[in-house]
Amino acid sequence: MPPKKANTFDGFRFIKKSGGIEEYKLDQNGLTVLTLEDHTAPVVTFMVTYHVGSRNEAIGNTGSTHLLEHMMFKGSRNFNKEKGTAIWNELQNIGAQINATTWNDRTNYFEVVPSKHIERAIAIEADRMRFAFLNDEDRQPEMTVVRNEFERGENSPFDVLDKNIWATAYQAHPYHHSTIGWRSDIENIPTKKLQEFYNTYYWPNNATVTVIGDIKKSKTLKLINKYFGEHPESAHKIPEMYTEEPKQEGPRRITVKRTGKTGVVGIGHKTPRGLHEDNYALQLLGKVLTDGKTSRFNKQIIDKGLATSVFMYDFPFRDNGMFISYIFLTPETGHRTVEDIVLKEYNNIIKKGIKKEELRRAIAQTRASAAFSRDGSYAVASALNEALAIGDWTYYTTFMDRIKRISTKEIKRVAEKYLIEDSSTTGWFVPQKDQATQ
Amino acid sequence: MKFSKQVVTSTPLEGMTTHIVSTGVKDVVTFAGSFLGGAQFGPTSNQKVSVLMAAMLDKGTQSKNKHEISNLLEDVGAEISFSSTRHHVQFAGSCLKKDLEIVIKLLGEQLQSPSLPNEELVILKNRMIGVLEQSKEDTKKQALIGFLSSLYPEKHPNHRITIEKAIEQTKKVSKKELKSFYKKHYGLGQFNFVAAGDVNSGHINDLLENRFNRWEQKKTTINDLLLGGHPSKANEKRINITDKMSLDMYIGQAVGIDRDHEDYYALMMGIYILGGNFSARLMQTVRDEQGLTYGIGSSMAGTSFGCDGYWNTWGTFSPNLFEKGKKATMDQIIKWYNGGIDSNELEAKKTTITGSYQVGMDTTGGVVALLLSNAERGRGVAYLDQYPEKITRLSLDQVNRAIKQYIDPKKLTLVSAGSFKQ
Repeated sequence: MPPKKANTFDGFRFIKKSGGIEEYKLDQNGLTVLTLEDHTAPVVTFMVTYHVGSRNEAIGNTGSTHLLEHMMFKGSRNFNKEKGTAIWNELQNIGAQINATTWNDRTNYFEVVPSKHIERAIAIEADRMRFAFLNDEDRQPEMTVVRNEFERGENSPFDVLDKNIWATAYQAHPYHHSTIGWRSDIENIPTKKLQEFYNTYYWPNNATVTVIGDIKKSKTLKLINKYFGEHPESAHKIPEMYTEEPKQEGPRRITVKRTGKTGVVGIGHKTPRGLHEDNYALQLLGKVLTDGKTSRFNKQIIDKGLATSVFMYDFPFRDNGMFISYIFLTPETGHRTVEDIVLKEYNNIIKKGIKKEELRRAIAQTRASAAFSRDGSYAVASALNEALAIGDWTYYTTFMDRIKRISTKEIKRVAEKYLIEDSSTTGWFVPQKDQATQ
Repeated sequence: MKFSKQVVTSTPLEGMTTHIVSTGVKDVVTFAGSFLGGAQFGPTSNQKVSVLMAAMLDKGTQSKNKHEISNLLEDVGAEISFSSTRHHVQFAGSCLKKDLEIVIKLLGEQLQSPSLPNEELVILKNRMIGVLEQSKEDTKKQALIGFLSSLYPEKHPNHRITIEKAIEQTKKVSKKELKSFYKKHYGLGQFNFVAAGDVNSGHINDLLENRFNRWEQKKTTINDLLLGGHPSKANEKRINITDKMSLDMYIGQAVGIDRDHEDYYALMMGIYILGGNFSARLMQTVRDEQGLTYGIGSSMAGTSFGCDGYWNTWGTFSPNLFEKGKKATMDQIIKWYNGGIDSNELEAKKTTITGSYQVGMDTTGGVVALLLSNAERGRGVAYLDQYPEKITRLSLDQVNRAIKQYIDPKKLTLVSAGSFKQ
């Protein structure tokens, strides 16, 4: 009998390889599997990414992807309290780190386990993929848990301002609402709606399994086939979200006034979808502006004592995103002062670009971050999860090569294209004095 | 192979110990270290001297201003940060393997020849005051300050001063005080350096020896040993913070023992079973069954370096559900105290703790954190292999006896912060 090829495994089709990571497709149901063998520590990260997030929600069911994520821990056919095999107990009792997260474009469930226990993680995730209990008697107490999570977010001036900026910048597209959802939707979404959501999106052909660490690939794929292979492909086509944000035709502003101590300024500009070429230059521009003590905003705002901290984010999403700078003011600083500094700096870059040494530094910082994104099995799985969310896992493995090609000219070009007033949304959190103590 | 066998421990200089472990990760190095010079060693009237001293280390050296320091690090994507804990000055950093020499050279310069520029001190103080002002609206921080200041007297290491006092102390710190504090405590003596990743221990030791061989020896030692002096009494305090949608609550008491006490692990295990993780009693009942909170947990803290520590249960509640949540939490505490734990719970949590210990070593950051905390406590690396055995050997009787001996539900301190329902 001729020897098997290195990447041939029963029941799987090899798709591609990049950066040491291999992609397979489970023939039975279209489940995508990513693997990386790394025997640095006797630990494995097992992760399931469902290609559904808060972008798949609409008015009335905002927050349902996240609430469903919570409900997925309430038990499934083989893993539940009645059988004495509750999910948390089964995994935490072996020392696993276990959790799940929901964001705009994806929902992920993961276990970091001692490698000898990998089968347990696979069995649990496969079971709840199609056999989760989603009962109304479980939703009632979980709703108040999630509502308290929402309330904790509302305690933070940053969270409140960030939600308001996105809700102002995006009017038609579902990025308008945050992943946690609106309070009244969290409270009132019927269990039936959550079940419908589950039955629409939680299928093997709408999921990617990532397994990184101390594994033997052939054995692990066999286990994945054994447990996930029992599910059929969905009988329906997974629905596409088709809403596009209309062009913004003028600057937008919002102000949030609440009792507090912290003044915050947030300035956002719309950016293209995550996989768009221009995003690589925008990522570097963000570093030039706020990453490290040599960054422009650190020198102009922090070093002058105008703010306690400055940061910006420009996460690549599946659809359009936002390039947002946030400044947390020191007590005597006015909002207008820092807003003017930020906008003046944007204009400087639009007119003059950045220096070569700034670009070189931003690339060096990115190179170090990329190396550290291989430190530990969870770091790799987590980075792949975000790349999967925007539509292509090789975004992670090719990122550094793309970054290295960016020039100062490119950065000036994207600044001119995206940092324009008409596509901006500016938010101020203005703390109010506590009336009770006056 | 036992973990301790993978760690290379050396003494490249008198008063400096290194623990270095090569992991399979490529190109990256994570390191950390510390020496005695935290708040406990500062002037009793001002805890912020040690904090500001550590924070000034990246503001300039005798030969470089803060921008030159930052340029050097950021040009290679490396990081070094400094902080001050109750007892230690700590540093932490990361870089690519090829840049390790540049980074250790700079670390040596920052620690041994800080210039403490006046103008930077003014900016730093202003920023710190801003951060402190912001923390006045942090319900969790406010509840914890209230809780610890109720449990311990002002001079105790576990006491927390109010934000107003912290602002006042920050304002008063002078360059002269920083210089005097530096002179007294910064140096070799009890200096630990740990590293993990793509490393060669011989190379790191050579670099350290080369860069620190002229640093003075200091005789700072820990002398807390404050065991058993803080009997608790039942009391409840509310801190009002307007316009907050969720409250934070701490319940607990001082336990009178430290980490080296023979009952420490038994008590720690008992508290872990009450609220150490999601599958522990508090999350399973108050959150999962009753839906009263997003987060609740229980732990023991403040037990290092001879300090008589405390146990606490923390929870977060909607103002409307606060009274219900508080009662549900107390019901669990009383049930736990009266009925103790059972053998199934004990066996399950033994494997939780030993398994998570292994999982925690999956990253260079996890390895470095473990090595440093072990070294700071003066324990040899062999202890890291003995720890899981200590957990596995605990008996049901030991744990239940410890709960009865150190916990008294009739004398709990409860502090909550947020916007209470009228």
